[in-house]
Amino acid sequence: MGPAPAGAQPRGDAGDPEMMEPPLEGTVKKGKKEFSKKHTVAGSPVEGLLQPVKLSRAELYKEPTSEELNRLRETESLFHSSLLRLQVEELLKEVRLSEKKKERIDAFLRDVNQRIMRVPSTPETELTDQAWLPAGVRVPLHQVPYTVKGCFRFLPPAQVTVVGSYLLGTCIRPDINVDVALTMPREILQDKDGLNQRYFRKRALYLAHLAHHLAQDPLFGSVRFSYTNGCHLKPLLLLRPHGKDEHLVTVRLHPCPPPDFFRPCRLLPSKNNVRSAWYRGQSPPGDGSPEPPTPHYNTWVLQDTALQSHVQLLSTVLGSALGLKDGVALLKVWLRQRDLDKGLGGFSGFLVSMLVAFLVSIRKIHTTMSGYQVLRSVLQFLATTDLTVNGISLCFSSDSSLPALADFHQSFPVVFLDSSGRLNLCADVTASTYHQVQHEARLSMVLLDSKADDGFQLLLMTPKPMIRAFDHILHLCPLSRLQAACHRLKLWPELQDHGGDYVSAVLGPLTTLLEQGLGARLHLLAHSRPPGSEWDISQDPPKHRDSGALTLGLLLRPEGLTSVLELGPEADQPEAADFRQFWGSRSELRRFQDGAIREAVVWEAGSMSQKRLIPHQVVTHLLALHADIPETCVHYMGGLLDALIQGLKETSSTGEEALAAAVRCYDELSRLLWGLDGLPLTVSAVQGAHPVLRYTEVFPPTPVWPAYSFHKHFPERASLLPRPDKPCPAYVEPMTVVCHLEGSGQWPQDAEAIRRVRAAFQLRLAELLTQQHGLQCRATATHTDVLKDGFVFRIRVAYQREPQILKEMRSPEGMISLRDTPASLRLEKDTKQLPLLTSALHGLQQQHPAFSGVARLAKRWVRAQLLGEGFTDESLDLVAAALFLHPEPFTPPSGGAGGDPQWLPGNSETTPRHGHHYPSGSQKLHMDTGWALAPDPAAACGPGSRGLTDPREAANGSLGAWRYQDSVPAALGHV
Amino acid sequence: MVARRRKRAARDAEEGIPSPPGYSAVPIKFSEEQTASHYLYMREHRVRDGAKSSWPQKRTLFVLNVPPYCTEECLARLLSPCGPVQSVELQGKPELTESPKEPKSKFFHPKPVPGFQVAYVVFQKPKGVSAALALKGPLLVSTESHPVKSGVHKWISDYTDSVLDPEALRVEVDTFMEAYDRKMAEEEAKAKEEEGVPDEEGWVKVTRRGRRPVLPRTEAASLRVLEREKRKRARKELLNFYAWQHRETKMEHLAQLRKKFEEDKQRIELMRAQRKFRPY
Repeated sequence: MGPAPAGAQPRGDAGDPEMMEPPLEGTVKKGKKEFSKKHTVAGSPVEGLLQPVKLSRAELYKEPTSEELNRLRETESLFHSSLLRLQVEELLKEVRLSEKKKERIDAFLRDVNQRIMRVPSTPETELTDQAWLPAGVRVPLHQVPYTVKGCFRFLPPAQVTVVGSYLLGTCIRPDINVDVALTMPREILQDKDGLNQRYFRKRALYLAHLAHHLAQDPLFGSVRFSYTNGCHLKPLLLLRPHGKDEHLVTVRLHPCPPPDFFRPCRLLPSKNNVRSAWYRGQSPPGDGSPEPPTPHYNTWVLQDTALQSHVQLLSTVLGSALGLKDGVALLKVWLRQRDLDKGLGGFSGFLVSMLVAFLVSIRKIHTTMSGYQVLRSVLQFLATTDLTVNGISLCFSSDSSLPALADFHQSFPVVFLDSSGRLNLCADVTASTYHQVQHEARLSMVLLDSKADDGFQLLLMTPKPMIRAFDHILHLCPLSRLQAACHRLKLWPELQDHGGDYVSAVLGPLTTLLEQGLGARLHLLAHSRPPGSEWDISQDPPKHRDSGALTLGLLLRPEGLTSVLELGPEADQPEAADFRQFWGSRSELRRFQDGAIREAVVWEAGSMSQKRLIPHQVVTHLLALHADIPETCVHYMGGLLDALIQGLKETSSTGEEALAAAVRCYDELSRLLWGLDGLPLTVSAVQGAHPVLRYTEVFPPTPVWPAYSFHKHFPERASLLPRPDKPCPAYVEPMTVVCHLEGSGQWPQDAEAIRRVRAAFQLRLAELLTQQHGLQCRATATHTDVLKDGFVFRIRVAYQREPQILKEMRSPEGMISLRDTPASLRLEKDTKQLPLLTSALHGLQQQHPAFSGVARLAKRWVRAQLLGEGFTDESLDLVAAALFLHPEPFTPPSGGAGGDPQWLPGNSETTPRHGHHYPSGSQKLHMDTGWALAPDPAAACGPGSRGLTDPREAANGSLGAWRYQDSVPAALGHV
Repeated sequence: MVARRRKRAARDAEEGIPSPPGYSAVPIKFSEEQTASHYLYMREHRVRDGAKSSWPQKRTLFVLNVPPYCTEECLARLLSPCGPVQSVELQGKPELTESPKEPKSKFFHPKPVPGFQVAYVVFQKPKGVSAALALKGPLLVSTESHPVKSGVHKWISDYTDSVLDPEALRVEVDTFMEAYDRKMAEEEAKAKEEEGVPDEEGWVKVTRRGRRPVLPRTEAASLRVLEREKRKRARKELLNFYAWQHRETKMEHLAQLRKKFEEDKQRIELMRAQRKFRPY
């Protein structure tokens, strides 16, 4: 009989406990119940719309409990806002592993442990004698060269321990991996196993034997090989449970040497552990040249020895601090959304955890911080610290035997030492990867610092794949060309170091080469990392060239992009030789206007669209010259869509020049208008109001000179009339220009009379322009058409107070109030908002030269969907502008319209997102579409450029408009 | 009632001309060449008692669905066989009163883009209406004796019409402004005359033109005054002076936070329903 009294209480009290409870399970369940109720009440007509929150007075003003106060205070101090806190909690709930699953995984792990211990041992054989391996399993390693000294036998591992994120509780769904370290018994290993890949061969054989026996066990659904972080020398074994749990978990077995087996001083980055004589199969050179150091090889051996100590360190730091764990999980999501965590040299979750540990050790992060604050601090640290210059170390001992940070900087591009002071955790991370991480961190910090309401969505929920994040993309394939490139670039020591992995060996030098060549054109260069491959135990491991293509992304800098000249040093300087060597036959001596004779490279590019594609020329030239990669192997994606916005007869230009010519002509006309004398009121402002004048007309106007013989003459009006027996004359669209006059008290205050006075002004304007500048004009009551240089401009005289006079309504009591009428709205749009929009977008074009192309392409695409008049031209311009003003989490496109694949996916992605969004936010894009889709476009406010808008207006979009918005993106998504 | 409707439907099906109940349909074609035709739907113009209509009862024919190529003259010509036509008026939508007859300026009130319209046709005699309702054959708008322009020819003539004579425009503007100025001067003179003179009840009308001008009576002005008053009062008031005031402010703050929290929770719930928290 419990519920009866509770039911009798007023509804407000029933909701009470929900707010008092800590934010764990209880709240959620309660919340769900309540909201499901609300949903049914809210009903279907406005599905997806928020209802105003109704709280009774008693509920709002009751005495707070201490828990509630605590939670509110915590939210204020630890999070940006309560919404963010709730969002973060929801996200963590989504990616966290549930307790139930954890139990199942633990049971599976116990089974795995038993099975591994039961694998039988084998007699000792030579390493090169692999006949004992059963037929169904292949060694998961490229054994090149094959001959190597040493013996191998299999013995069950001395110790099986779980390491990594599962133990720490920072693993995130959907790919749950449990890393298990198998300590190989000391008897398997011999002295000098660190040399010449002997340790790695044994490691691989160990796994092969293990794989053969585990594969026969019915407990496992699949037993496969993969690489540890994409490193080709270090295979690992993947075990997945059988049956319905197959996708629950992947157990990864890492064999590792017994503790203290390798002497750390032999594995310093300056030491050599792969002898050239062995690797290249030659007799020792004998000239006494030192062996090249093998820093990466050494690091990979060291990584295996340090598995345990890293886990210990992380568990002491993260151990009891829930906030830190949350932070690490959030950071992992952040990295994954940006595709930064996968492959060899990726910024993995482990690295981030270590970074958090480092920040805790230098007291940048405190253990009581919330997940959001940890995320913020780490991003802040990444954004401001360049590990390629100033490395960091977790080792605080002052042991003089330890190598200095500078030694590591010589061997590795990015330096982050672990607590032993000998292992560089970022050994495989290339400089460009780190710069990409830094770039992302910087963007994210800007987003977090801005007041944007939707920071959470953009930061953690929006995937940012390479194809959308960069202006130009190029694929290098087939990858086997890179082997030739390695030889051309003389990278034999690197190959020796990387165990023959020519893709990762060439990556560093190749990116440096391109970065140097692109220079000021380039903002950021990023490369893809080969994806982690899995293969069956009965197959040979995949070859280096099998990982598809190497993708390079270029983020361009609009300022330097369009220069056609690379200026070199003066001819008599010593650097000139380097310059000539770098640019090869493209470098030529040139005399410049200031008299200097310099080396220079000049690229051929006539129009703007060709200039934007100069990076293509640079890249293909440099790759062919220095890396022996022919043009056919470089698949460059940039400017692919240019053809869509080229005029019918144009082939080289995408119309920027024609638009600029029209705008220049307009500028001249406005100067003429300013200087016109004889008007009763002087011209105070001339504003364009036509898409051409904001660079968003898809096909720019061409100057037209009418052929006199094709027309009938109409001498008394100085006009030409078309003749029915001749072909139709070309259509000339007039470009609207609004002309404001200086203020005057002489204007009549009556709508009809104002129109007459305006007509008189139009007539006078035409007369004066004809008299003073010899322009051909035609005046009507509402506008004056002017023919100038083949363009037709339609000048409309505007009187500032006219919309207001049209709005005036007199109530019966004689009170004058202002009410919008269709006529006043139309006038306001034509004379106030469109000019404002045009000048704002004109400014945007000056800031971002790629805007014009993107906006026109966008328009072209939407118009091709035949969506009708629902999208006005202005609204499409605004959507394109939003892409430049609020590109988060991306950057404003700068590679030109065609070269910029961002727009299409960007739009189909963003529009639905905003379409469903809550209308009170200061979302610009959202509001802009609201402007377009509201019943009357003029009802909402003007352009979406910075600081010109009022978010409240967005709410003007009526219900119908919202629903309309829901349906439109579906159409957008089709293509 | 139902039976009658069914019978009507049956009859319509026979004739093959669906029409709104109470209307008779008359086919109308552009010219001989067309095979398909539009239909004019006609009815005698009738209004309920009490409703005012400026159209003469009994003699007025109400026509629906007048195609855009059919002008007033054309309609008058087509209906003249039924009896002498007094006037024809085309309108966008049915209105009971005749539009004011003052001539509109062709410069300032361009004709709206035509679509299908309604027409009020006034015959001189009531017989005309019944004759029109009984019309059968397809009416032809463009005949050899009265051709209607179409295609390129129509566009060219439209374009020619759109080239206006600036002199005529100037003359019109001048005459209008002269009349306007005269009117304004008269009004001003009248206002000056009335200035300060009490009416029969002894009230003096205060205007903006007087010696001491007053605020204009606009909504914006009155709002401004109210706003200023409010600000003045707020400046005088003491904030958080008494303990209860302090308590209340705090409570208000808490209530705001609670409200915000509830709203946020609702937003989260909505997002969860839309699976917004599945990151990939």
